[in-house]
Amino acid sequence: MTAPRHVFRWDLDKTYLYSEFERVRDLVKSALEKPADKRAVPGAPALLRALRQTPGHRICIVSGSPEQMRRALQAKLRLDGVEYDEFVLKDNIRNLVRGRFRALRAQIPYKLPVLLRSRAALDGSPPETLVGDDAESDALIYSLYADLLDGRIADDELPRIMAADRAYDDQIAEASALARRIPVAPGSVKRILIHLDQRSPTARFTKYGRRLVPIYNYFQAALILYADGVLTARQVLFVALEMLADDQYELPTLANSLQDLVIRGRLHRDTAVQLAAECTDAAAEGALAGHDELPPFEQIAESFKERVRVLGDVPPLEWPEADPKIDYVDLVDSDHSRRRSKRKS
Amino acid sequence: MQRIVVDAMGGDHAPDEIVKGAGDASLTLGQTEIILVGDARRISRLLHSVRHDGGRVRVHHAPSAIHMDEKPSEAIAAKPDSSILVAAQMVADGEGDALVSAGNTGASVLACARKWKKIEGIHRTALASVYPTELRRGAKDDPFSLLLDVGATVDATGEDLVAFAVMGAAYAAVISHNSRPRIALLSNGTEAGKGPKEVVQAHQMLLAHTGLNFIGNIEGVDIPRGVADVIVCSGYVGNVVLKMLEGVSETVVNLARYAYKEKLLWRVALAMLSGGIQRLKAITDWEQYGGAPLLGFEHLFIKAHGRSKERAISNAIKVASKAVSAGLTDQIAAGIHELEDRRGGKQRSRA
Repeated sequence: MTAPRHVFRWDLDKTYLYSEFERVRDLVKSALEKPADKRAVPGAPALLRALRQTPGHRICIVSGSPEQMRRALQAKLRLDGVEYDEFVLKDNIRNLVRGRFRALRAQIPYKLPVLLRSRAALDGSPPETLVGDDAESDALIYSLYADLLDGRIADDELPRIMAADRAYDDQIAEASALARRIPVAPGSVKRILIHLDQRSPTARFTKYGRRLVPIYNYFQAALILYADGVLTARQVLFVALEMLADDQYELPTLANSLQDLVIRGRLHRDTAVQLAAECTDAAAEGALAGHDELPPFEQIAESFKERVRVLGDVPPLEWPEADPKIDYVDLVDSDHSRRRSKRKS
Repeated sequence: MQRIVVDAMGGDHAPDEIVKGAGDASLTLGQTEIILVGDARRISRLLHSVRHDGGRVRVHHAPSAIHMDEKPSEAIAAKPDSSILVAAQMVADGEGDALVSAGNTGASVLACARKWKKIEGIHRTALASVYPTELRRGAKDDPFSLLLDVGATVDATGEDLVAFAVMGAAYAAVISHNSRPRIALLSNGTEAGKGPKEVVQAHQMLLAHTGLNFIGNIEGVDIPRGVADVIVCSGYVGNVVLKMLEGVSETVVNLARYAYKEKLLWRVALAMLSGGIQRLKAITDWEQYGGAPLLGFEHLFIKAHGRSKERAISNAIKVASKAVSAGLTDQIAAGIHELEDRRGGKQRSRA
């Protein structure tokens, strides 16, 4: 396999798709839903398509949805024009047959080995961007994976973390073996984006450090990836246009999303201004051709700049230079108790 | 998309509870943008720890704020960059559709008066307040009647009272879905000739020149009964009435507390009544109705209670959003226009 230039790993439910599975009824509905009836989160398909445009970008989809939904999910991605290189689903029938009931719900024991296995199969140590949501443990799993690639997790720590998430012994053994096999490449995971499907307070993710950015929508994801040098201004426009085609989004929503990232210290003011200038150029070159419903782009760019200007000299939220050392065992425990109390309520 | 401008620095619990309320409203209101005006540094730190939709909340920096204990006119003059003045200016400039504040009432009303124009044909504005009643009304089975004015215009003329009736009727139609609310004048007797001259004059005008469902005069005792859906009075009278009704409610609660402590038998009786008391509490819960609308300007201002917390602020924003989407100020303007037409027509026919 040729070494990819950049790997993008995406979750599906609540990250790419609007999905409900809190109740059995929702699960059944989701399983029976036709591909055309499934709803993608606005901007997610456009973003995946934009990422795919660059040669060497590898797209891997890792979902906790059951294998039985493979055909419907693949059909949905096809309908959205999304191409991918890997598509991994959870084999829950196998878990049931083997009586491994803990594996039905456990997050880390399923997802972490999948990520490690995929990484181990790659040539070289390409940079990665991981996209998940706040409904379950994506922030924790992705950060743990990133820290493993960074060499920040001690050999004896991973088994303790997985045991805390009620992993079976063979799962712990496999993950540990894979972690040992993968070469340490600090800084491989460039970015973790967490789609705030549940609208969790962004402060909940501060503990994961600068690398992880909670996002309210995919325009914010596009902005972050533009700042990371992964997307061009023109591609950011494509994501914005797809979102504007949805009733939920209007130009002010997008402008507010940009302001929110500036306030949170996740997008530098200068980058926002630079993006506005580049988008103006792209619009002048015809990037918005056929979108007569939009006001002149100079007006749009001005409203975006205005959102930054009205913040005055107020400094954004500050972030420590060094990423914090994360106590994963403690996080897994508190995650369990949070979910228990959520179920009770 | 409606844009509700919120004075984030106004109120006893500002900005914490205001930001929380705005965050909650951003999650439940579909097509509404909430603009938080105030100290951007404090607001952004609060937003960071509050559930909200980052795409629906905008922050607009205003470096100063008018506090609850400041003298309104002096504070307005001294702080042109205060959150309430900046917020009112934004609405005047068309950057927002309505304003919500839990801050200093005098300063808020003054800020609106300085920055906004009145609807054509309206000479004085009115602050409206809802009061829980025995009877329910409207398509929503609303347990509240609307009392206006409760303090914006101390000495209203007969013409002002008629305009208040038109504004109150429009508000009841939009917010309570009560298409034909019963309008009454508050007086010291139900007879048409009872009361001060402006009330008598208003009575005659309401009968002669409006198509409103005017039911005549009512007395104070009729307010909690819910005989009328919209009760019209001058700001002086309305304010006294409102404070007295609030005082009576507090006294009843204090008496119940006293009874609870005093005798075991009374305690048992109160415990047995607890379900009913809770229902009463739920009906009289001021936090659920959001705030008092200031009517008569070209834009809507919702004055939330100074003690408002998250829920009250969220509801105030929802009421503002609903009023904007239903075109409340346009409806008021249409009502006033119709009133002037009728009066003009009758005067012409007399001539």
